[in-house]
Amino acid sequence: MQTKNITEQKGAVAMSGNKGGRNKKIIKEKTGYIMIAPFIIIFLVFGLYPIINTIAVSFTDRTLMKQSAEFVGLKNFRTLFKDKFFWASIGNTWKIWAMNFIPQIGIAMLIAVWLTDTRLKIKAVGFWRAIFYLPNLLMPITVAGLYRSIFTFYGPANQMLVRAGLVKEALDFFLSANFAQGLVAFIQWWMWFGNTLIILVAGMTSISVSLYESAMVDGANEWEMFWRITLPALRPVLVYNLVTSLVGGMQMFDIPFMLTNGKGSPNGSIMTMNVFMNARFQRGSLGDSAAVGLCILFITTVCSLLIFYVLRDKDAILERKLKKAQEKAHKEKHLNVTGGN
Amino acid sequence: MSSTTRASLKDSYSFKTNVSRTLVYFVLICLTLICIIPVWVLFVNSTRSTVEIQSGLTLIPSSSLAFNWNKISTRNFSLYKGFANSTIISVSTTILSVYFSVLTAYAIEVYDFKGKNFMQQFIYVLVLIPQQISIIGFYQYMSRLKLTNSYIPLIVPAIAAPSSVFFAKQYLETCVSRDLIYAARIDGCREFGIFHRIMLPIAKPGVFTLSIFAFTASWNNFFTPFILISKTERYTLPMLVQLLRGDTFRTEIGAVYLGLAVSVMPVIIVYVFLAKNIVSGLSLGAVKE
Repeated sequence: MQTKNITEQKGAVAMSGNKGGRNKKIIKEKTGYIMIAPFIIIFLVFGLYPIINTIAVSFTDRTLMKQSAEFVGLKNFRTLFKDKFFWASIGNTWKIWAMNFIPQIGIAMLIAVWLTDTRLKIKAVGFWRAIFYLPNLLMPITVAGLYRSIFTFYGPANQMLVRAGLVKEALDFFLSANFAQGLVAFIQWWMWFGNTLIILVAGMTSISVSLYESAMVDGANEWEMFWRITLPALRPVLVYNLVTSLVGGMQMFDIPFMLTNGKGSPNGSIMTMNVFMNARFQRGSLGDSAAVGLCILFITTVCSLLIFYVLRDKDAILERKLKKAQEKAHKEKHLNVTGGN
Repeated sequence: MSSTTRASLKDSYSFKTNVSRTLVYFVLICLTLICIIPVWVLFVNSTRSTVEIQSGLTLIPSSSLAFNWNKISTRNFSLYKGFANSTIISVSTTILSVYFSVLTAYAIEVYDFKGKNFMQQFIYVLVLIPQQISIIGFYQYMSRLKLTNSYIPLIVPAIAAPSSVFFAKQYLETCVSRDLIYAARIDGCREFGIFHRIMLPIAKPGVFTLSIFAFTASWNNFFTPFILISKTERYTLPMLVQLLRGDTFRTEIGAVYLGLAVSVMPVIIVYVFLAKNIVSGLSLGAVKE
């Protein structure tokens, strides 16, 4: 089967000629174009144009109130970069994302190792996976509403704490900036660790058992096998997971919006970039908020590309280059021989 | 080595395994409680009155469901309407996005045409670009077309759903049969006929998983309708749920829980029956990217 790593696409496509069913591609150009036409048209109209329009709007002083708008150049960006709340929102988003992602990948990895362990033979793997995945399907707004109710002043959390004698009187949780950030991160963790777990279990079960067997024969212990076999084999899955989590995390909106007053209180501690953008939008200034949107796009894209670049599989790339060079050498040799004849 | 020491070694090994197994089950049960209890509390509290809720936490349902329902429906808060609006949007979005995603993926998988490889890689890149960042341009564009309170901007863009195409492509690779396509063509079947009458039925399990994810994504989507829609009677369910935060419901905690519960009910019911398919569908998409 062809490797479908995004970074490996070029190589894979170039070499697909020699693979079983692949060379039986059916050549019917016209039907192919007709079938992808709806996707392309709708993408251009509802996907690409809004991005271009966002860029265009960000260079104007357009508001919701007036019909006309004037070109103001980079003014929106300049005021944005001077705004300390904008920088704070970037910091908050990253902080909350990291507070959620590190425990998420850590716990998911640990549980995945346990569920796939051949010695432990844990029963009902499907059941555990199904339970842990459930929170991921719930409406984020509702989940945030639920946790908001649990941690209100007269809510269940305070009732339990007071009754158990852990605190003397009810706490006003949502006055604490650290608590609010922690709760957003916890909710994100709660909703996403099951998803990561399923992906990791799928990745681990697809690793060939013979690798572990021969490592065992060579006297490797479990820890070594995890570092030398499991982790490297999971690399594409981990990179994919990291990037999708980052892209999603940078867009964080529903939960911080619903949890407190919709503007990121207390102290703007859960004002993420999108909450900030929404606040600008509700104030009526489209130019300003479009500039925020573009900054989010810029941050997200640069970071995703950076992750792909830093975590790329250097060995595999080298191997592919070697193979290509070998094939080339082989061909030349072949040509020389036939030419010589 | 004498036989007794060997036996005790074996014993200690299996003892160690048993201890770690017990520990693992303990952790799994704790995580299960963490996942389930908040959801359970949500449903239980939606059947309790405000007084009951404030007097303490319990995991046993009470009898104030009807009372809470009356409270919530009398405050200019039409759950029925929101439910209907969300259903219309989610069902149409699901049909459009699944059909066109499978069609696009099928074209890329089966036919050879110029720009095909570019198209495929382009779609993979698009998966990573979220729609939300262009929401302001989208909003301004839609208000120019006078579509801000219409459902068209929420439904039609689903025709171009890169992540669905990505999943559909993964799935079709495992089930497209070229021989079958050739045979059908010899029998005089048209290209679209092959897609509708042969490939879609074969790809049913994948189409099904795709539909569930498309439906949930649309059902749970808050940001886009929140920016675009301003008329109360056009509000979707998440937009109504968001109103529960307000002062109107400060004293009706039971009603708030009920409103929250209603919004996640359909997804939970579907999940109870189809959890196995959903989890395996997710695993399928995970392994081969």
